Amino acid sequence: MKLWKKVAVASTTLLAAVALTACGSSSNSSSSTSSSKSGAVKGSVSLWVDTTQVPFYKTIVKNFNKKYPDVKVKLTQSPNGSSNAKTDVGKDPAKAADVFEVPNDQLGQMAEAGYINPLSPTAEKTVKANNTATSVKGVTWKDKMYAFPFAEQAQTLYYNKSKLTADDVKSWDTLTSKGVVATDFTVPYNFYPIFLSAGTYLYGKDGETLKGTNANSQEGVNALKWFAEQKANKGVMQTSNALNQLKSGHAQAIIDGPWDAANLKKILGDNFAVAPYPTIKLGGEEKQMQAFLGIEAFAVNSHTDTKNQKAAAALAEFITNKQSQLIVYEQSGQIPTDKATQASSKVANDPVAQAVMAMAKPGFSTLMPKMLQMATFWDAATPLINGAYTGSIKESQYSAKLETFVQRISKAN
Amino acid sequence: MFKRKDKKPPKATYREVWAKGGLASKLSFFLMGVSSLKNRQWVRGIAYLAVEIGFIVWLAFTGVSALSLLTTLGAIKKKQVVFDKAEGVYITKLPDNSVTILLFGVLAVLLIVAMVFLYVTNLRATKSLYIANRDGEHVESNMEQLKSLFDTRLHTTLMTIPIIGILAFTVLPTLYMISMAFTNYDAKHSIGFSWTGFQAFGNVLTGDLAGTFFPVLGWTLVWAVCATATTFFFGVLLAMLIESKGIKFKGVWRTIFVIVYAVPQFVSLLMMAQFLDLQGPLNNILLNWGWIAHPINFIGASASPLVARITVIVVNMWIGIPVSMLISTAIIQNLPQDQIEAAKIDGANALQVFRSITFPQILFVMAPSLIQQFIGNINNFNVIFLLTGGQPMNNNYVGAGDTDLLVTWLYNLVFGQTQRYNASAVLGILIFILSAVFSLFAYRRTNAFKEG
Amino acid sequence: MKSYKAQRRLSLVFRYLLLTLLAVVWLVPIVWIVLASFSYNDTGFVSTFWPEQFTIQNYIGIFTSSQFPFLYWLRNTFVVAVISMVLSTFVTISVAYALSRLRFRFRKPFLQIALVLGMFPGFMSMIALYYILKSFNMLNLGGLILVYVGGAGLGFYIAKGFFDTIPRSMDEAAIIDGATRWQVFIHIGLPMSRPMIVYTALMAFIGPWIDFIFSGIILSSSGNPKTYTIAYGLYNMLHSTKGSSTTYFTQFIAGCVVIAIPITILFVVMQKFYVNGITAGADKG
Repeated sequence: MKLWKKVAVASTTLLAAVALTACGSSSNSSSSTSSSKSGAVKGSVSLWVDTTQVPFYKTIVKNFNKKYPDVKVKLTQSPNGSSNAKTDVGKDPAKAADVFEVPNDQLGQMAEAGYINPLSPTAEKTVKANNTATSVKGVTWKDKMYAFPFAEQAQTLYYNKSKLTADDVKSWDTLTSKGVVATDFTVPYNFYPIFLSAGTYLYGKDGETLKGTNANSQEGVNALKWFAEQKANKGVMQTSNALNQLKSGHAQAIIDGPWDAANLKKILGDNFAVAPYPTIKLGGEEKQMQAFLGIEAFAVNSHTDTKNQKAAAALAEFITNKQSQLIVYEQSGQIPTDKATQASSKVANDPVAQAVMAMAKPGFSTLMPKMLQMATFWDAATPLINGAYTGSIKESQYSAKLETFVQRISKAN
Repeated sequence: MFKRKDKKPPKATYREVWAKGGLASKLSFFLMGVSSLKNRQWVRGIAYLAVEIGFIVWLAFTGVSALSLLTTLGAIKKKQVVFDKAEGVYITKLPDNSVTILLFGVLAVLLIVAMVFLYVTNLRATKSLYIANRDGEHVESNMEQLKSLFDTRLHTTLMTIPIIGILAFTVLPTLYMISMAFTNYDAKHSIGFSWTGFQAFGNVLTGDLAGTFFPVLGWTLVWAVCATATTFFFGVLLAMLIESKGIKFKGVWRTIFVIVYAVPQFVSLLMMAQFLDLQGPLNNILLNWGWIAHPINFIGASASPLVARITVIVVNMWIGIPVSMLISTAIIQNLPQDQIEAAKIDGANALQVFRSITFPQILFVMAPSLIQQFIGNINNFNVIFLLTGGQPMNNNYVGAGDTDLLVTWLYNLVFGQTQRYNASAVLGILIFILSAVFSLFAYRRTNAFKEG
Repeated sequence: MKSYKAQRRLSLVFRYLLLTLLAVVWLVPIVWIVLASFSYNDTGFVSTFWPEQFTIQNYIGIFTSSQFPFLYWLRNTFVVAVISMVLSTFVTISVAYALSRLRFRFRKPFLQIALVLGMFPGFMSMIALYYILKSFNMLNLGGLILVYVGGAGLGFYIAKGFFDTIPRSMDEAAIIDGATRWQVFIHIGLPMSRPMIVYTALMAFIGPWIDFIFSGIILSSSGNPKTYTIAYGLYNMLHSTKGSSTTYFTQFIAGCVVIAIPITILFVVMQKFYVNGITAGADKG
């Protein structure tokens, strides 16, 4: 038995090394090279993906089984979608899938709660070698990686190019003077990054410092002032259904994520256009409007039987490799994190991918922190931003409100 | 009326049974059912004995450990991440799962209570057997006992299965919930948690949740009063309108209104939320007709709290009036007409008749169901959850919005971002206390709980 | 005399107008839901009363969708509804009858405990229910039925109120004639409570069609949409997928309309029983 295990370890390290070199050198068919060696990974694992993604993950799992014929994979849809991974897994970790999709901002809490396992050193190496630095940082929590990244998400600006030109959308002021942006100020995911544009940090520069939030400053007040200005701005429309407003022509631009891109193309037809966020005027200065950068990743459940752990890790690694990322991109338009895939002609020529990749650069976006306090953060940021927008928080209260906000999200326990 | 014939045997104390009873009686104090067996009541005797043996076996194998674990909710509270060199992967050594420990601990306590209950019935049976033997009375035979299950003991037959169902699916979960309120079960202690006494109560009543709890409690009460009163009052009016003289096709009219109630709420309310949206059909219609210059934000996340609260009450009328209309219709049809006739002869107009005769009578008949509706509205999850989801946002609240009721806030605390299970258990208990206080005096008056 | 007649006619016209107005107000949202189910829409939001573009594709889509197996949901819900209807009715009627017509030692304590239990909000117990069912490996439709039936024992109030109104003298006469209480229950109690049984049964039948919370907690972990019930399946359709859910929105409405129709018809048919049930308990005030 022990000998067998040694063989297994040896073969996987070998495999990882082979995969590493393969990915680095060639651009195609990287995964099939070492199929004979990997028979040692055995087990049965379950996999959760979003409902609508089940069909193409079936293909990916088939590919996986070509390489690992001894791993039985049970592919099902997750109960409430990957954006609710924390609650779905938290309900009963033992019943949750062995491998599941999770957005990176939930990783910290899941790691602390003990729901997920860190990546093995070999896996870390592979991931680091293949994926962009930001995405690697996105899945790293307290110096350990907790998930295999496969897609990056940042909201971009989608607009109707028959009404707005590419120059119009470069600054928020021209954009909203020439057209109407439909958006939702009650979603902090959309608008908290304005604070970051203004020059504040959320949980410090590294996003892991509990006391690192400095929104309780003049910069923070500037951000709140900007929200208040938008209420009077005729070119900004508060709506819970931006898509519909875009379609009906009441709005000419929206901010949205790549997950809606396919639908947007259908709605706008030939007039579809996409661009990175514009610049905005904050405290008298023109600054880049920022977005939250999210990394979608697959994590391995810590409740998985020890004997299946390796199979689970192998599965998570495989379904986030170059080949799988390309399938995911083709089928659902999610922007890959794999460096080679990003550079491939298909992705590089896609305007949506270009815009998202532009937004992923530093200065355009900030990684969503993975702090445990993020749960409180979302709850607290929503009424703050919305209150400033609607005017229910007066300018005189800004400092006090920001102070309570920062204190609330900086509590250790 | 069903009283047993008055031939109650002379009493005997358990002391007497113990002192003077035979070996079987004595043994029955330890081995349930022995005296039944001795008296050839085989079924009962074997059942008792089997239950006891089963209980002892359970106690020995899992019961004791379940109970002892209950005191600490598991020894290991912290997880540990270790590197498994052989497999080349990290393994997490998980804390003891307090959720299941607590659940099975509560179950064990419940089983012990049930056992004590059975033991008492066993003693009682032993005593009556002792008395029957002592006084030379007829001892029930095996067959007689079985037959009595369909006659004098019919209640046992009818109630056993339902009671087991209630114990398993209502009592056990409720006890579990109550005990959760005394732990630190939250997002930070989601697998291994421990007893913390009244700390969670402190959080809700004086701690960080107090600023949310009291305003939400206030709105919950306002909502319950308004929702109950509006649906009742307008339901009665609608019923009288349909029942009034000269209106034809009363059944059709009633059905039109009932349709609204009949459509499943998760359909009608979810759609209603869209209907009332800032850019929804209602605003579009009103704008097109020129009735309003700007769209009204009825229930959106940035709506004005007052508008949103009025809107949910109005929408609740839309859902609730048909039901109370149906009930009032039935009552109106059965109202004694003589008083009304007499009043009319005396020259009272319709309004006076309504105010002094019809309405008080309806109110009198409907009082008990109104109280039930009030309690129901305190816990009216669907209307708020599906319609507004608690919005609009309130920047002074923690995890709740302006239209959130205690019960939807409770739901948010469990299934929302923050997962504060213990706090929500506290809320559950407080909601219970609230309902209990309100119905304490009320239910005593209702017929259903009076001695028939 | 004439003016009195004219006044009455005016009042009637006025009442008809008022009634019509109210009926329109009540029905407009419902009509809109039905219209929306026929509208072509891919934005997840219907902003107009009258659809801009009619289509029956939503209905075709919902019945042929592979990701959302609507027909399985219908079948599952029907099976759950029928079984839980039979069992729940049996449980509820038994309890109500025993509490109303029989006298035994634990009757009063039981009534009081039942009252207390009913006042705890149910959400917290869902976590416990989940683990109870899990330990019996019953996180499936069977477990869902158990939950529905398990709760039925506490839903006896209306039926008990009804039994309370049946004069007890009949039972006594039958007992004096030598009938057992079981015979009284079967031959007198049950036949007389037929409307009550119909009411209880219909309510139990409708329950599974509209419950999206319990079914969600219990069924979601299977991850297999073919095992969902209709209410949770439809609810899940809207909430499980980021982005693409907007494209399914009108299909969701169509699915809702499909199940709302039979439930509405059932309810309209049984409104009489409903009223009888509610008022029976209160009649004696």
